[in-house]
Amino acid sequence: MTGTSLFHEQTARQRIAALVDPRSFAEMLPPPERLTSPYLAQLGIPVSFDDGVVIGKAKLGGKEIYIAAQVGQFVGGAVGEIHGAKLTGLFKAAARDQVPCVLIIESGGVRLHEGSAGEIAIAETMRAIFECRAKKVPTIAVIATDIGAYGGIGILSTCCDFRVMTEHGRLGISGPIVIEKWMGKKAYDSANRALVWKTSGGKTKYLLGDADALVHDSADAIRDAVAKLLGKSSAITLTSVKTRQKELEKRLKRFGDTADPDAVWKAMGVRDIAGASLASGPEFAAMAKRGK
Amino acid sequence: MEKFAKAFPSKPLKTTAGKPWALAGVVGSGNLEVLVERGSRPSDAMDCHVETSIPGYKASWLAALADFAHHYPAGGTKVTINDQGAPPVLVTLRLRQAYDHLTKGEK
Amino acid sequence: MTTAKTALRRLNKAQRLERVGKLARGKFVSPDNVPQLLKRIIEPGDILCLEGDNQKQADFLANQLATLDKKDLHDIHLVMSCITLPAHIELFKKGMIRQVDFCYAGPQGTAVADLVKAKKFPVGAIHTYNELYARYYIDLTPRVALIAAAQADRKGNLFLAANTEDTPAIVEPTAFSDGIVFAQVNEIVDKLPRIDIPADQVDFVVEAPYPMHLQALFTRDPAAITDVQVLMAMVALRGIYEKYEVQSLNHGVGFNTAAIELLLPTYGERLGLKGKICKYWMVNPLPTMIPAIESGWVESVFAVGGEVGMERYTAARSDVFFTGRDGSFHSNRAMGQLAGHYAIDMFIGASLQIDINGNSSTVSKNRITGFGGAPNMGCQPTGRRHPTKAWLKAGAEANPGPGSPPGRKLVVQMVETFQAGRVPTFVEELDAAEPSIRKALHGVTPVMIYGDDVTHIVTEEGIANLAACRSIAERQAAIRAVAGYTPVGLKRKKRETEELRRRGIVQMPEDVGVRPSEASRSLLATQDIKGLVRWSNGLYDPPSQFVDW
Repeated sequence: MTGTSLFHEQTARQRIAALVDPRSFAEMLPPPERLTSPYLAQLGIPVSFDDGVVIGKAKLGGKEIYIAAQVGQFVGGAVGEIHGAKLTGLFKAAARDQVPCVLIIESGGVRLHEGSAGEIAIAETMRAIFECRAKKVPTIAVIATDIGAYGGIGILSTCCDFRVMTEHGRLGISGPIVIEKWMGKKAYDSANRALVWKTSGGKTKYLLGDADALVHDSADAIRDAVAKLLGKSSAITLTSVKTRQKELEKRLKRFGDTADPDAVWKAMGVRDIAGASLASGPEFAAMAKRGK
Repeated sequence: MEKFAKAFPSKPLKTTAGKPWALAGVVGSGNLEVLVERGSRPSDAMDCHVETSIPGYKASWLAALADFAHHYPAGGTKVTINDQGAPPVLVTLRLRQAYDHLTKGEK
Repeated sequence: MTTAKTALRRLNKAQRLERVGKLARGKFVSPDNVPQLLKRIIEPGDILCLEGDNQKQADFLANQLATLDKKDLHDIHLVMSCITLPAHIELFKKGMIRQVDFCYAGPQGTAVADLVKAKKFPVGAIHTYNELYARYYIDLTPRVALIAAAQADRKGNLFLAANTEDTPAIVEPTAFSDGIVFAQVNEIVDKLPRIDIPADQVDFVVEAPYPMHLQALFTRDPAAITDVQVLMAMVALRGIYEKYEVQSLNHGVGFNTAAIELLLPTYGERLGLKGKICKYWMVNPLPTMIPAIESGWVESVFAVGGEVGMERYTAARSDVFFTGRDGSFHSNRAMGQLAGHYAIDMFIGASLQIDINGNSSTVSKNRITGFGGAPNMGCQPTGRRHPTKAWLKAGAEANPGPGSPPGRKLVVQMVETFQAGRVPTFVEELDAAEPSIRKALHGVTPVMIYGDDVTHIVTEEGIANLAACRSIAERQAAIRAVAGYTPVGLKRKKRETEELRRRGIVQMPEDVGVRPSEASRSLLATQDIKGLVRWSNGLYDPPSQFVDW
């Protein structure tokens, strides 16, 4: 007796189970191992058996993959020492075994309580991602919740080959409140949820080419998108970085002075702003002319 | 933080097959995670370990856990809980979900 | 003699109007002249009615009133539905108020409690809505009423748009007793969409520099509904709605009842209940009802007020909502409360505190809120004579005596055993019974719904059927049985609970066919506000704080 199961409403474990082939997921360092954060315990903050990230091996459409899912409810999905080590290890294993790696992101970045360890772990994970890419092992980030991908994890997500997003997902570096704090409420009102999603939400990220797929908020849709991207990977080269830099410069020149996110949508070919705002991910993708 | 442990009399688990452990819930504000594992001794007790961020509610915790052990055959299990201020009803609900997963092998 | 006496009150009104002089051009007053005009039309000792309820506020007039001083205005007997604005509190701080009679003080509950402690809150009584409106016709008839409307035309006719709310209940007793009616309007136009208050009953009109304050009170974001609330909603649907075949009803504003509304098109449909329950509603246009309306569950909805953002939707669904000839939504609080009192099978709502006898209240020493619409609907109307299935069934269970009505309205309290922050909902004694509060209220404990009127309490533990209890002791045992792990609940005796359960007075979720592990948000017709907009085919315009697209 279940109704619709929205991906963004599921727990990390449910998301993995719903995404991969039935009963194919084998968790690494599962809860009974009790690898919990010693720092949080010292500070009197509740710990979690998986330190906020579930990792393991599974099959997707019969193909072997490594997969991780962050737990956004647990200290904002932030990366501490153990959480980070699990991520690093997973991507290193992916590079070693030449098995694609999927990361279901839900994280504000580094965990303040164990900052240095988190920073280092994120950097090491990025290095492992580059190692994957050098070997053309596909790396895919899924960003499907409002906790989204921010801070170091926002950057990390852009190191992957592809990003699959939903309309609920958000991608950025500084969070809305931080931007407001530095730039003032006039420049960026973090309480204006429509503005926040129009600047960092999945639709805008897809329009600008930061997300490679914009899909329904369901495990089926995300699985299809991931499956399509699993076969492809490209190495990061000096040329590819330079090309990307040029694209970003062009974007800055085009939209740098724009204060109105609707103007960006219009310039990117969206005609019916109200309709597009309300549209689902794939409807939006169909309505919009996609650009870089 | 408050920590306590207590074993409650409970009829032994019916099945010996199925998963060795099951987890329900997440640690987050007003929420908790419950880990239930097989193979604990004695087989006629539910061995509970609770760590909670809100001290002072031991009586209702113990009453909720005792009721669960009374209503369901959970003897021979070890129950470990990380809590961030969940209301008692969630304790019962998550316990029940973890127990269902453990005994029925659901996801 | 009689004619002379009649003339006195009329003469007094004429004198006040004369004092206004050039401050008004006919009925029309410029915003700058409002404080001066108020000084001239209000006299010391007046009963002054300030329009404001939990949604709509004559806030411009209230703010202007608050700029006056005690020397301008004093010994005022203030009568009003809701003390909601900082400006209202200001009147007390300035010592202008001789007595106040009101219903509700939601957002100012803490400020009112402070005023009570400082002995600056000379309260007559905390009323229920219709009780206060009734007194406007008896012993609390306003001399001056400051009201709010959407539009006025050049003659002074008023259009109230979706938020009619209290206005007619205030204007009629005032206008027909030589009182003065002063309206703030959002705009003055040549032609009104429809006339809700005739110019004949209006003395002054000001076009306020800002639109009246409207609180989005009934918007509940489905994203905030929890699995536990879904569980309770399932239990209520099976154990009460289905059991009694509840056809006409009122819902409170909480997330519990929002969960029920969102389960109708999914869980309710699967239970085969469509067409059998929930057809006639006395409730504000709740956005969470959109899926049930769109799925064809609802025959009609009458409302005490509007809801921000529901204007286009309610106009489009005039087959369900009451609308004017212009096609737009119409509400009326006095009539709605009357309907909710006499003509519904069930009232279901939440409360902050319930005592061991089933009395509920939201008042505590540090927060004096009062009552919303609950007490008029959450009580037994012994003036009722017409039977319905639900009314007779509930009546039979209550085992009526030879001198009591054969039926009963279902009055259901639906609460989680703990509030946020692990504050227990169930208590041995209400905070409202605190001696200082009782003293301020002349010996009355501000009870929202009396235990004798409650037929059922629903918690996540199950249902207690209080109407079926045969003694006070039994009622207390039934309440303890569903009070969970609160101190009140921990005092229950296992054997007593089992006996009540055997007799069907206490029912656990399993007893009404609900498996707790099935309870999941995924059962809701939609999980977020955006989903409601999609259900409405884009006709619902949620307030910006709910919009993330």
